Amino acid sequence: METLIVLVGLVALATVLGLVWRARTGRIQRTRVTGSATASEENRITIPGVAPFGSRVTLLQFSTEACAICPTTHAQLSGLADEFDDGAGAVVHVDVDVTSRPEIANQFNLLQSPTTFILDGNGALQARIGGAPKINDVRAELDRMLNPALV
Amino acid sequence: MTTNPTTPPAANQLSASKAALVAKPGQAGIDPRGPRFGASITAALLLTVVGLGVDAAAALPATIAERASQPAFILFSVIAALFAWGALAGIQRHPYGLFFKAAIRPRLSAPSHFEDPRPPTFAQAIGLLISVLGIVLHLAAVPYALVIFAGLAFIAAFLNSVFDYCLGCQIYVLLVRAGLVGRSRTAS
Repeated sequence: METLIVLVGLVALATVLGLVWRARTGRIQRTRVTGSATASEENRITIPGVAPFGSRVTLLQFSTEACAICPTTHAQLSGLADEFDDGAGAVVHVDVDVTSRPEIANQFNLLQSPTTFILDGNGALQARIGGAPKINDVRAELDRMLNPALV
Repeated sequence: MTTNPTTPPAANQLSASKAALVAKPGQAGIDPRGPRFGASITAALLLTVVGLGVDAAAALPATIAERASQPAFILFSVIAALFAWGALAGIQRHPYGLFFKAAIRPRLSAPSHFEDPRPPTFAQAIGLLISVLGIVLHLAAVPYALVIFAGLAFIAAFLNSVFDYCLGCQIYVLLVRAGLVGRSRTAS
């Protein structure tokens, strides 16, 4: 009887952990809105050796080689960037593999892969997404950033 | 790493996002359902270990030979050996992976996309580490060590199987930051 309780409890615990993880993963966490241009300037993110950022929005993805969902996220985010881009590099997706670059993982306190940053036109961090992004939420966020008057 | 000889589905039938994931020539790709199938077997076996071991977990036998002949210990050792197989030979050559390919996959429709075999292979190595810790501590007569580590491994395998949780996605970055993996870049 006690064995049964332990086993049922273990399955229940794993299920709860799975549900909590699924609810939390991929949520967009906005960084504190600073508003002023100077603050945006100070928060500018620069990473040596990666592709140039977008002039209005950058989807900055951090991946590793042991990440099964990173290629899926890459395909979704680059598709989304193409969807919003004007052909002149306004909205850009950049994927950085940090497997051999621990200094980047440390600098941005990465806890899982993929982690995605949404940057504004100044390269300042606007939002952070841990895990596989919910692509419709990211689309809504891009809408909000590119067309502030409509919201 | 050898190339999986399976034929990818025609790229023009897929959405753009999925087409980007189709295994390219010269690149190893596996059916993503394979590792999840294996994880479900592993989870069931690990739950069996906990069931077999929990009654005797508080008061372990006196000698190391008696502890090593307990059914829970033997089963956990077999699971550890399977983890070692998957970690060293790669997830595609793990017995469950071979069984999936030979017996299950022909009955399924083609996968929507292929995945890199490295993340599930990495998860096998984590499983091996957890089970070896449990085995060593059990042989050293640490009470509850066997069921606790089997329980941890069960949770990871269950989350992988049921929720498509990817252990490598969560842990690998932390290992990179700790300097344990990834320093020497292998050409891919």
